[in-house]
Amino acid sequence: MESITMLMEGFASALTPMNLLWVLIGAVLGTAVGVLPGLGSAMAVALLLPITFSLDPTAAFIMFAGVYYGGLFGDSTSGILLNTPGNSSAIASTFEGHRMALDGRAAKALATAAMGAFIGGLIATTVVVFFAPVLVKMATAFGPAEYFALAVFAFLAISSVVSDSVVKGLLSLGLGLVLALVGVDGPSGTARFTLGLPQLFDGMSIVVITVGLLALGEVLHIASRIHRDDAATRVESKGKPRLDLRDIRRALPAWLRGTAFGVPFGVIPAGGSEVPTFLAYGTEKKLAARNGDTDFGTSGSIRGVAAPEAAANATAGTAMGALLALGLPTSATAAIMLAAFQQYGMQPGPLLFERSGPMVWTLLASLFIGLVILLILNMQFAVLWAKLLLIPRHYLYAGITVLSVLGVYAISSSIVDLWILLAIGLLGFLMRRYKFPLAPVLIAVILGPLAETELRRALTVSEGDLSILVGSPVTLVLYGLLVIALLITGIQHLRHSKAARSQAPKFDSDRIGV
Amino acid sequence: MKTIEDSPATGRKTEDYPVRITGFWSGRSELIVPALVFTLAGFLSYGTATMEVMGTSVPGPQFFPTIVCVLLFLMAAIHTIQILRTRRFPHADSEGHNPDFSSDMLGDLGDTEGKSIYRPTAPPSATGKRKAYSDWKTLGTVIGGVAAFIVALPVLGWILSAAGLFWVVCRALGSKRPLFDISISILFSAVIQLAFNAGLGLNLPSGFLEGLI
Repeated sequence: MESITMLMEGFASALTPMNLLWVLIGAVLGTAVGVLPGLGSAMAVALLLPITFSLDPTAAFIMFAGVYYGGLFGDSTSGILLNTPGNSSAIASTFEGHRMALDGRAAKALATAAMGAFIGGLIATTVVVFFAPVLVKMATAFGPAEYFALAVFAFLAISSVVSDSVVKGLLSLGLGLVLALVGVDGPSGTARFTLGLPQLFDGMSIVVITVGLLALGEVLHIASRIHRDDAATRVESKGKPRLDLRDIRRALPAWLRGTAFGVPFGVIPAGGSEVPTFLAYGTEKKLAARNGDTDFGTSGSIRGVAAPEAAANATAGTAMGALLALGLPTSATAAIMLAAFQQYGMQPGPLLFERSGPMVWTLLASLFIGLVILLILNMQFAVLWAKLLLIPRHYLYAGITVLSVLGVYAISSSIVDLWILLAIGLLGFLMRRYKFPLAPVLIAVILGPLAETELRRALTVSEGDLSILVGSPVTLVLYGLLVIALLITGIQHLRHSKAARSQAPKFDSDRIGV
Repeated sequence: MKTIEDSPATGRKTEDYPVRITGFWSGRSELIVPALVFTLAGFLSYGTATMEVMGTSVPGPQFFPTIVCVLLFLMAAIHTIQILRTRRFPHADSEGHNPDFSSDMLGDLGDTEGKSIYRPTAPPSATGKRKAYSDWKTLGTVIGGVAAFIVALPVLGWILSAAGLFWVVCRALGSKRPLFDISISILFSAVIQLAFNAGLGLNLPSGFLEGLI
């Protein structure tokens, strides 16, 4: 049980007052951005990256870990009280959660959500502690072809399998790859697409890209909508969030089922917790129908909140494991975490456990500590967090704008970077305006260089023979799974566009031409 | 032919709202995206073809960009065709719709029985027919604010230019208290300057105020 001793050492270094303070700051920030609709932990980490640059990496990552989980604790709060999920990971728990709130059981829904997030995260993090070393052993046998297959899997799964439109997903992916191409090519020393600007020789900073897309892009999008859309109405939450024994007995199986959906999905690059949360919600719904549970869909079922919430945090937990052990980001937020590691000159993957072992185990230990802190913060003060929604939106977004330019300027005091930030912010706005997915851009920017290097390395070894790319069982399994997933999505898209077309005869050109 | 397709993503019918088709561009403004992508892909192809290749490794630095170029050209072409075939209007969008995930797929997984996953956008008001369209004035003000900040930063220094940016964004997003905002802006940017200089040891430009503070 080597893992346990390592983890205990991790706890020993995580339990210093200074490190506890960082977890607490991270947890507070994470919950705050989670509660506020439109902001998420990915944006928060991107904004924090440049500011934390002078911190020691362990402290920074402990804080990021708090933000990472915190976002998933907070997002259900605004979903339950406002019917506006803080993030898309909370959509599934909002259905029943808001019904419970309307039924006067808002406090109970909030407590169920927080407890579910805690249980999901706890089980998943425990799984990571025991399985990360196994994954690391497996990954050390990976060669260039396997890493390339992994990158291709992540690219296509996120841009095509789960996204709304395959064409838009692939366009986003292509844009991300272009952003990653700018700069001097490592293996050959060739300057690529730098327009002769020396500032671009090192490539575009990941901080500039992520802050531009996620923070400034969101501000611009809000600017284009704020005088258009109506504000949501809030349900007041009465009473203390407490669960009695009967509630716990009802919610417990749902928490566990949700976790079971979430744990495997963290390792699959399916873009995060949306897919497992909906799976968990769907399962609870079917079970409720079978057991004659009348709460579901009417007054709000506690299980419909418990399962998706547990699934979301379980996914986040194992996603952290896949990130640390394989260097594979499975969601946009994980991609930003990977970027954070790269900023500190570390490359997640098998070597990370070898080279920065103590830091990794401290990080894992602080994930546990973060979960406990988050549970307390969200159980005791859920109603207080909802007060954040009272901050006028103009102050919030003005603050984000200023923090964006601050963060980008802080990395290298360069005015050119600020112009690039504005350009990428405009790109982020256009993509939001026309419903392009953002996750493929982030995954491509972060995994693009790896994919290129490994592809070229593999082909150099094989002297141009493409069969090396499918030459091992691991690559065959990965490509096989990918083909199956793509086929299923293809059928799915066809079925739905057929369904949409069969309703089409309703068109009435007289009415349309009004 | 004047037809509009339903938005399958939301299950909401576009015909619920009157839509005015005035010409070729109605519901096709999205063409700006493939136009930009074609330009980008063209630049990329030119850059790849004229690249001063160093080293002799095979495959070289032009290999991967070529793949990306092909991907971009192909997808931009398909996207153009899609837009030309189906006009899309902002009403069909729904609030908080995250295009990272197929709402059809999530609907199937969650067994939502074709109910909309996302809240639909607020319907256009009876008087203002254009309510659903992007608000270019506010957007332009914010973009202008950021651009002005970038120009002003080396001259005016952090405190003044950041306060100006904060104030402009507040005003654009609908703040009704311009005078009160001035104090909030200056307080915000000054606190950041202090925290950075004292706490993190990073220097933000102080502009012409240098020496005064």
